[in-house]
Parts: sequence; structure tokens; C-alpha cells
Amino acid sequence: MIKNLLRWLLSPLGRMSLLIAGLVFLSVAVWGVSLTQAAPAQPIQFPHNRHVGFGIQCLYCHPGAARGPVAGLPSQTKCWGCHQQMQITQTSALLKPLVNAVENNQPIQWVPVAIVPDFVHFNHRPHIAAGVNCEECHGDMSKVTIAENPQVMNMGWCLNCHQQKTVDDPVKRTKLLDCGTCHY
Amino acid sequence: MSKRISRRDFLKLAGAAAAGGAVLTGCGPASRYVIREPYIEMPEYNFNGQSTYYATTCRECPAGCGLVVRTYQGRAIKVEGNQKHPVNLGKTCARGQATLHGLYNPDRVTAPVKQGRGGVLSNETMTWEQAIQVVADALANTPPSAMAFLLGLAPDHLFDLVGDLTKALGAPAPLRFGALALFEARSTLIQAAAELFGQPALPFFDLANASLTFSFGANFLETWLSPVAYTRGFSRMRKQQVRGHWVQFEARMSQTAAKADEWIPLRPGSEGLVAAAIGKLAAEAKGQPAPAAFASVDVPAAAEASGVPEETLRRLAGLFAAAERPLVIPGSAALGQVNGLENAQAALALNALAGNVGQPGGVFLSPLPPVAEKNHALASLQEMADFIEKMKAGAIQVLFVHGVNPLFELPKSFGFEQALQKVPLVISFATFPDETALQADYIFPDHHGLESWGYQRIATGSTRAALSGAQPVVSPYYDTRATADVLLAACAAVGGKLAAALPFADEVAFIQDKLLPLVEVKEANFNAPEINTFSAYFQQFGGWWAQADGLISPTAPALGKALNVEAPQYQGEGEFVLLPFVSPVLGEAGANKPWLQEVPDPTTTVMWNSWVEIHPKVAHELGLENDDVVMIVSEAGAVEASVYLYPAIRPDTIAIPFGQGHSAYGRYAAGRGVNPLDLVAPVFNLSGDLAFAGMKVRLEKTGKKRELARLESKIGVYGEGLEEH
Repeated sequence: MIKNLLRWLLSPLGRMSLLIAGLVFLSVAVWGVSLTQAAPAQPIQFPHNRHVGFGIQCLYCHPGAARGPVAGLPSQTKCWGCHQQMQITQTSALLKPLVNAVENNQPIQWVPVAIVPDFVHFNHRPHIAAGVNCEECHGDMSKVTIAENPQVMNMGWCLNCHQQKTVDDPVKRTKLLDCGTCHY
Repeated sequence: MSKRISRRDFLKLAGAAAAGGAVLTGCGPASRYVIREPYIEMPEYNFNGQSTYYATTCRECPAGCGLVVRTYQGRAIKVEGNQKHPVNLGKTCARGQATLHGLYNPDRVTAPVKQGRGGVLSNETMTWEQAIQVVADALANTPPSAMAFLLGLAPDHLFDLVGDLTKALGAPAPLRFGALALFEARSTLIQAAAELFGQPALPFFDLANASLTFSFGANFLETWLSPVAYTRGFSRMRKQQVRGHWVQFEARMSQTAAKADEWIPLRPGSEGLVAAAIGKLAAEAKGQPAPAAFASVDVPAAAEASGVPEETLRRLAGLFAAAERPLVIPGSAALGQVNGLENAQAALALNALAGNVGQPGGVFLSPLPPVAEKNHALASLQEMADFIEKMKAGAIQVLFVHGVNPLFELPKSFGFEQALQKVPLVISFATFPDETALQADYIFPDHHGLESWGYQRIATGSTRAALSGAQPVVSPYYDTRATADVLLAACAAVGGKLAAALPFADEVAFIQDKLLPLVEVKEANFNAPEINTFSAYFQQFGGWWAQADGLISPTAPALGKALNVEAPQYQGEGEFVLLPFVSPVLGEAGANKPWLQEVPDPTTTVMWNSWVEIHPKVAHELGLENDDVVMIVSEAGAVEASVYLYPAIRPDTIAIPFGQGHSAYGRYAAGRGVNPLDLVAPVFNLSGDLAFAGMKVRLEKTGKKRELARLESKIGVYGEGLEEH
């Protein structure tokens, strides 16, 4: 019986169904992988464009970028400092999660957008010190609501920039292309 | 490449397989979308995006090492040693690193509960007001003599508070007990030092400067007294201009013995005889008459009884006589014998013979810690047994338990479980649902060590008088409360003389009150004009310690009295002597931390389980192979464990690690391995410590096989296991 099945699989119809089964399997797998890669929903549909439009500096809410490895997320007392003075905070449905969090003294569970793997020791500070502006990596925040990654933050992308910025400085180039600069 | 599959086909196939593998395993990194919770309200001294570091004290064992914990956005991330702390100088052991697994343990007691002695953690939660009322009622309505406090080994602020409380009540002083003290036979060491040097203090062995070290059973690189401090001493001893030589005397090659230059496998309990014989021979080698302490020992008989050949004894005695700064350390299994006190005395007396008492590379007494009227004695096993008898007789009506798990840490033969049934009210302050907590009427959970305030006296390990400081590095995650706060609130609710004796608003006020005398001491690691500044520095430095070394140099004993060393005596029947030893990784309370469970045991590389070490030759005679399950039977009980063929153990001895065998204590600990204390009968030495390493046992085959998870290959040094490969 198994022999018959194998023979049938070699026939044109059998090959066709094999192909279809393979395609179905592959698409399910791709869908499964995409599920693991998709970020969960943000708790607040945070409008970066609105905040940047008001003229708020990036470092006002993410001051760690200038001082150390992590830019940091603002505590909700910082949000509330401005928002408690605004009428719209009480009426807007979009701001309801913030009001709830403050009233219940619960932290807001943000989903990080710009991340690198654990084996990369990324540090914001030297980038800011070298005069790289936030938008060069994170894109123009005046154009987006929830932060988006304008590029895939992989090693090629890092090295590309490191190479371009050090064309006329061989010493710096050696340092910035060294594996141990980021992987240690 | 064969003709059937071309190179191109092979590459295609390999590519497809790789792609398929990636798809099937799900290639997303697990940490990709971890949720980030920023502070609700950030403390002023924090900075967004930057880590904050706090100095505190490790609570995993009673050694009291200083820690610096990195926290980020209110979460403890990484534990490091405090470089300024006199005990550990910036180092930690594996248990210290794993303290985070206690903090984030999913099986913590998260709120006060009415436990009602059920087998599992009750979900009948209470408010803290109700809990404090229960404690207050217990304090107010129980005759003081029927009240008992059972505390852990750490000589900390809670011990002082309970001491003051019991004094005000007129109740018996709190009992301090822990399995580490049992396996170190700490009371025996203190008594031996008292009898030889005239002062009841823990000896300090200056390992760092010794040129020759004889260690009789002391496993100082594992769990003994202050392992991080002694590991540092060991490292310095090896790095001297002339590398220090070290001989370890014990029946089984422990992790400590594995690092020694020589391992002398003597019969358990014959350490005193061997020490005395070496003393006699060394005196002779020096051309002196043997002092009275050693003169009476019969060297050939000692060689016979210990299983150490006479020529080895003579060679070692020659080494000892010729050594510039010899040091002898007694400890652990050498003391956990019926003749343990004599063994300790004989070994300590060797130091006196070598003239190293109070000398560099010799024996000192540990500096007395500050904030102490005297060295707080800990309960010997005899005292615990007496206490259990009192419980059984119904003389104890209320039992408070904190920092210790007697149902696991005491041998079953002591009958603590039955005694507990006779106590009408048992209140546990456990952080984790351990065996004893589950058998309590109430659990009023204390914070985890990283969430709590405190101080701890440094009993030994430091060359200076030191008081280690503890502060919360994170806010408590659950509805737990500091036991000190609960007791203070209960005292205030009782009122009267109790409230007058402890008039403190909270734990921190009590700690500050105890620190007050230290403000006056100027020769310390910091100075402060008044108590609030002092407290701030105390937290910043991670404690208070004297500027200068405070080791006490005792007067050398005369050795004029003959030591009464005898051949070892064992308890019960059987062909093997049982040698239980504390797992160097798990210790007495590490089994609920997966990091520690996953660390391979340093000598056998076994993880996540218990094993019984048997010499391969004996095992093969008995027809036993690796992973065969045997029943080990003593007169006190029986346990089942898988066989591990261990060539570095005496053929007449078997060994089982202590640390596993929990029936509760959370998902990672429960139902895993066995507790070798189940095999130990209540037999004591002259100091009242347990003769845990003197039980005779026999083996029974079960016909079962249970494979041990181990890192090493199963092909042994004799080629056994080869046939399976």
C-alpha cells in the first residue's frame, strides 16, 4: 500500500499535490514566524508628531541618550506634569489609558520599538557626542504617531554609517570597525 | 561527493534543511519584545536611562558578604561584590549571584495568609492589621516561658530585636540554628577554641600567609564559615613568594580537597588520632620531647585506625616540622563525630606545637563584632533536641519561626514534625513557602533580603571588627512586610512594658538606635557627626568597619594535658560509613533557585538531583553501575538515590550531598532528590553538636535505574561506561 502511495506521488497529480502541501506548510510557517516577530500593541497610541510639533525636545523625555547607554522612557509623573494642566486630558479617549495609569498608580507597559539584540552593547552617548542627531537613526518623529523604525537596525546598517563617517580618519575607522567596540 | 547526489543537489538540500530548521524552531529571539515599565514616579537621585547602584548585604548564607546591586528603573539587575567590604573585597560566590532568583522567584509568599497547616500554600489571605493583631494576641496572652523564637544563623538586627523583646517579656532567648552550623559543627569549633585559648570565639585561620596548611575536613572553599573570605585566603596562600603547600585530610575528595596538593583519605573520625600522631612525630623530628598532649598516642595504632600508612604520617610530620609557618584547620566532618571535640582540640593543639598562635600564617580569634554585648551563641544540636523535647511535652504554646526551615534542616529523627503538632500556635515569617512555613498556622511573609533593611554582625572572615549594612535595593514587589516592623507594631499594640522596651516607630528607627554607639568611634571606614549622616554613610559604604585589624592573638596553650584522642566510633550497623556533605552550590537553601540547580556540582558535575558516591571497585563488587538506584538504610531511616561511581572516595565510605530533597519550597525545589539528614540519628559529641558523619549504613539494590543529569562524560577513569558507547 505504501508502495502504491509512493508511486502515486511520482505521478504528475501526486507531484502537484506534494507541491501544494509544501506551499501550505511553508506559508503557515512564515505566518508563524511573522507572529513571533510582530510587536504587541502599544498601550497608548502615542502621537510623537504632536509632541514634536509643540517644540518638545527629544531629550526632554529621553534624557538618558545624552548621558549613557539607554535613552530611557519618561516616568508618568513627567507625562502628568504637562497633561494635568490640559483640558483634553480629561476628555480625550486616546488619553484614557494615561489617566487610568496615573489614577491607579500603575506603570504604563510600553513596547520598545528600536532595539538591538542582547549581544550588542549599544551606547547612545558617544553617538550624541559625535553630533549624530536623533532623527538620523530614528527617523523624523514629526511625521509619525507611534515611533517607527525607518530602517532595519542590523550590523550592516551600523557599519555602513561607521564607515561613511570615518573616511578621512584611519585611527577612528579602526576603532569603529572593530568587533569589540559593540560585541564585548 | 557520490555520483548519486551532485554537489549542487547537496547544497540545495542543505539550504532547504537549514531553512526548514529555522522555520520549525521559530527563530525569533525570546527577549525581542520584553515590555518596559518606566517608573511611575522616579526617585530624585535616579536619572532616566541610567542604572543606580546600592550597597547591601548578601543574605544567602550567614557569612555576611557585602554586595553592590545594579538596579534599572526600580529593578535589581545584577549582583556584584562590594570592593570595600572587609569580608569579600568585591567577590561573591554563586549563591550570592543567584540571590536575584530568590527576589524574582515565582513561588514567593505574596501576602499574609492563614495557612492552617495545609500541605500547600493557603490562599486565605489576611490584611496586615489582622496579622499584627494575631502576633500581638500571641505575645499578650501566652505565658512568657511558653513562647519560643526560632531564628536563622545570621546574627542580624532581627536577632537583636527579638533578643530585646524576649528580655522585656521574660521569655527564653531566641534560638539561632541552621543546617550550615550543623555541618560545620560550629559549636564544637568554638568550644575547642575556648578550651585551648580560654575565649569562646570563632578562630580565624590566616590561610593567606601559611606556608604549609593541614586541613582536617574543613571545606573552606565551599560553604565553611566564610567561603568567599577563605577562598581569597587560599588564592593569596598560593601566590606567596614560595607557593604554600596544602594537605587535605578527609574521607572523600571534596571540591576543596580537589584543589589541595595532597589528599589523604583517612577514615572519618580518625582526624584527632592522625593530628596527634603527626604532633608526636613532628616533635620528635624537631628533636624535642613530645608534649604531654600528644605523648600518649600510639603511632602504629593511629596508622591502623585511620587507614593512613605510617610512612605517610612520618613524611607529613617531617613536612610539618620543617615548615616555616604551618597552619592546621579543623572543620566540618572531622568535628561532626562522636569524638568531634577531641578531633578539633588535637588539630588546634598542633598549631600551638608549631608556635603559630597569634602569628602571621597562624591561628587568631575573630575580632568581636561591634554592637554586641558578647558573641551571641548559636544553639547546638543538643540544645535543639532539648527544645524539641520541650515542644513534645507541650511546654511551648507559641512558636515564631524566621530565617530557618527546621523541617528540612534538622534530621527527621529529631522528631520536629511530631513536636510541631504539639504546639498550638505556629507563626512563620518565611519569604518562601518552605516545609516549615506550610506546617504553620500563619505565614506573615518577610521581604526578600534585597527588599529589606538591616545590619549583620560579621562573626568571622574579616580581619576587622565589622557590621555589614543592608538596605532595600528595590521596593517590595509583593504585600510583604519586614518581620521587625510586624513585631514592633505588635509590641505597640500590646502596650505596657513591651511597648516601653521597644518604643520604635519602625525597623529603621530600631537599627539607628543600635548604631548610635558607633557614631562615637572615630577609627572607622567613615566618620559622621550625628546619627542621620551616619546612617546615610552606613548605607553608602554597605556597613561599618574598623580602620585597623582587630584579630585577637590568644595566648598559646601549654599542651601539658594529655589529649583524649580515640579511634572513631560509629553508630548503627552496615558496611559503609555515611558522609553527608553540604552541596557547595546549593547550600542549605539554594534549591529553589534554577541558576544554582543548573550549576554542575564541582566534583561530579551532576545537576538537578541527588546522588550517592560509591567507590567504583566496591560498586562493581556489589554489581552496581552508574545511575542504578540504591536504597541507603541506616538505623534512623532510608533514602533512595542514584549511584555515582566516584573513584575519589574511601571504599568503606559513601557520600550524599545535602541541599536537595525538599517536599515543598517552590516548583524548582520540591520533589527533587533526597535529604541525607533523614539517615542521621540523634547522636552528639561532647559539645552537643551532631555526629552526622559517623552513621553506619547499608545498601540495598532496588533494581531501578534513574539517570542523573551530568555535564561530564559517563566514561569513567577506569574505562567503565565504554561498552555503552
